[in-house]
Amino acid sequence: MTTQPATAPLRDDEPPVNLWRDAWARLSRNRLAVLSLAIIGLLAFVAVFGPWLTPFDFLSQNLDARNLSPNWVHLFGTDELGRDVFSRVVYGTRTAFVVAIVVTGIAATLGVILGALAGYLGGPFDRFVMWFTDTTMSVPQLLLVVVINASLKPPLVNFMEAQYEATKNGFFRNAIIIDFVLVFGSMALILWPPYARLIRAQVLSIRSRPYVTAARALGLTTPIIIARYIIPNAIGPLIVAISAGLGNAMVLESAFSFLGVGVNPPIPSWGNMISDGLQVWRNHAHLLAAPAIVLGVATIAFSFLGDGLNDALNPRGRK
Amino acid sequence: MLLFILKRLGIWVPTVILVVLGVYALAFYGAGDPIKLIFMRAPGDVAYDPVRIEAIREQAGLNQPFLQQFANYLFNALRGNFGNSLVSGRSVWSMVAAAAPVSFQLGLLAITLTAIVAVPLGMIAGMNQNSRLDYAILGAALLVWAIPAYVAGPLLMVFLITVLPGAAVPYGWGGIFDARIILPLVVLSFQPIALIIRQTRAAVIEVLSEDFVRTARSKGLPESVVALRHILRPVLTPIVTQLGLIMISIVNGAIFVELVFGLPGLGRLTVSALTGSDYPIILAITVIGSFLVMASNLLVDVLYPILDPRAADTRSGR
Repeated sequence: MTTQPATAPLRDDEPPVNLWRDAWARLSRNRLAVLSLAIIGLLAFVAVFGPWLTPFDFLSQNLDARNLSPNWVHLFGTDELGRDVFSRVVYGTRTAFVVAIVVTGIAATLGVILGALAGYLGGPFDRFVMWFTDTTMSVPQLLLVVVINASLKPPLVNFMEAQYEATKNGFFRNAIIIDFVLVFGSMALILWPPYARLIRAQVLSIRSRPYVTAARALGLTTPIIIARYIIPNAIGPLIVAISAGLGNAMVLESAFSFLGVGVNPPIPSWGNMISDGLQVWRNHAHLLAAPAIVLGVATIAFSFLGDGLNDALNPRGRK
Repeated sequence: MLLFILKRLGIWVPTVILVVLGVYALAFYGAGDPIKLIFMRAPGDVAYDPVRIEAIREQAGLNQPFLQQFANYLFNALRGNFGNSLVSGRSVWSMVAAAAPVSFQLGLLAITLTAIVAVPLGMIAGMNQNSRLDYAILGAALLVWAIPAYVAGPLLMVFLITVLPGAAVPYGWGGIFDARIILPLVVLSFQPIALIIRQTRAAVIEVLSEDFVRTARSKGLPESVVALRHILRPVLTPIVTQLGLIMISIVNGAIFVELVFGLPGLGRLTVSALTGSDYPIILAITVIGSFLVMASNLLVDVLYPILDPRAADTRSGR
């Protein structure tokens, strides 16, 4: 006796369709999105393997080869200290990706937890979280970041100094670590509200679905329902938001460095390279153009990929 | 109506105070002892005299509890007294008052430019949905949306000067009738224009399927009349609600645009205060910037029921 399949059998020549395969099929039909994905993939590859790809060290100075225009040895030319601009842009890619991934990770986690709890619990907690996100979002981002950055720095420096005195561990004297912690912290603090708002809206629409009622009837606890039923079903819009968020964080990081509150020299970042290039572009335009163009291309790629993912992952939004 | 405005104000005022409180607390606990910030910026700057320092502390009211000091700050801020700069010692209010006109004029011009450019372009794109014209407008909007002001500004500057030989370098401030304002204005308007084009286009596409548009067309009205009289009006209403977002992108953008093009406005003041850790200025500008954005949100909230009477009932909570 053979068991009958519960659903109609699939035809052999037609692979089973699930959300991811469907989304991928739609995404790969969007030429702009595929191109963007390729550019982001290339940048990610460069970020990971950068030090083995660059012909020069990003710090080594060659005073005989200062301010060279782009040529075959120095693809993007050299800066006023004879450092290879190509190597610096490559290393800046690394900075940009590290900051974008860590910051988006922290912000998205924070936003998902708070948004899911607010949407699921409702009541005063929900009202408080929403009031807080609305208020945070109505303060100009950059000014808030400036305040947070300026006020977190002294306590952090004191703390690290105290740790150094206590342990004599050189790790706590590392100015680069302080820079990165400051950038991560202040950026994550202003970037979580959109995620919280998005997840809350998703949760509100999902929690009234029959399968959630069924799960509750089975006696599952709230955290398990959120983790197992609600978040997986809200993941499509979240991925879109994260893709846009990565690009956003990258821009914000370079904006920070541009203003001089981000990752400080000698660690190269696109923002501080643009800021330096702005002083000398009249004579050496390549110093400004190289990082600016790379940053522009990266931002546009993330933006187009976000749009493509949005079309691919939101089946209900389609015509 | 009056009750509705009062209700909104009842929520709005505490929110503004809490935002100021949050920013003040950050600076209060983060910056450390203001006496040290003023008198001992570098180690060994001024001979350390505990008696004298305590006297100054007493006189300035810096030994009071946090909330008392915050109340003083708020009260003084309402009268336009934001304290003195740590670096130059001048009153923060006078520095802000000197810089604000530049930023405000530029911001108002940018909003005007946005309205003039973005609404017609969005209408054109929406009424020719999925045509080449639509894609061109949408693509341009996405492009200027994605490029940050500090990339677009310098690149346009280089481009302008290499293409137009003899063109003056657009650097500095000469009032709003000076040619040097054109490039900063355009760069500052990029993001709001992109935002409004996308909003207008989406709203037009939605309105196009309404019955009254079909009726107007079937009456035989020319397309231009339909566009101006039947489509524009319902499209404009939701766009007004974007004022808060526009304000945010202008306040953010002003920081870069003023830095790149050397305009002596609030944005440049912020950056110089930041590099000098001049907390009173940072605090004052953040408070003013947030106030502007929140005030425009309040304005939208109050105006919306007037523009769209259908929303009046739901908004007032009835």
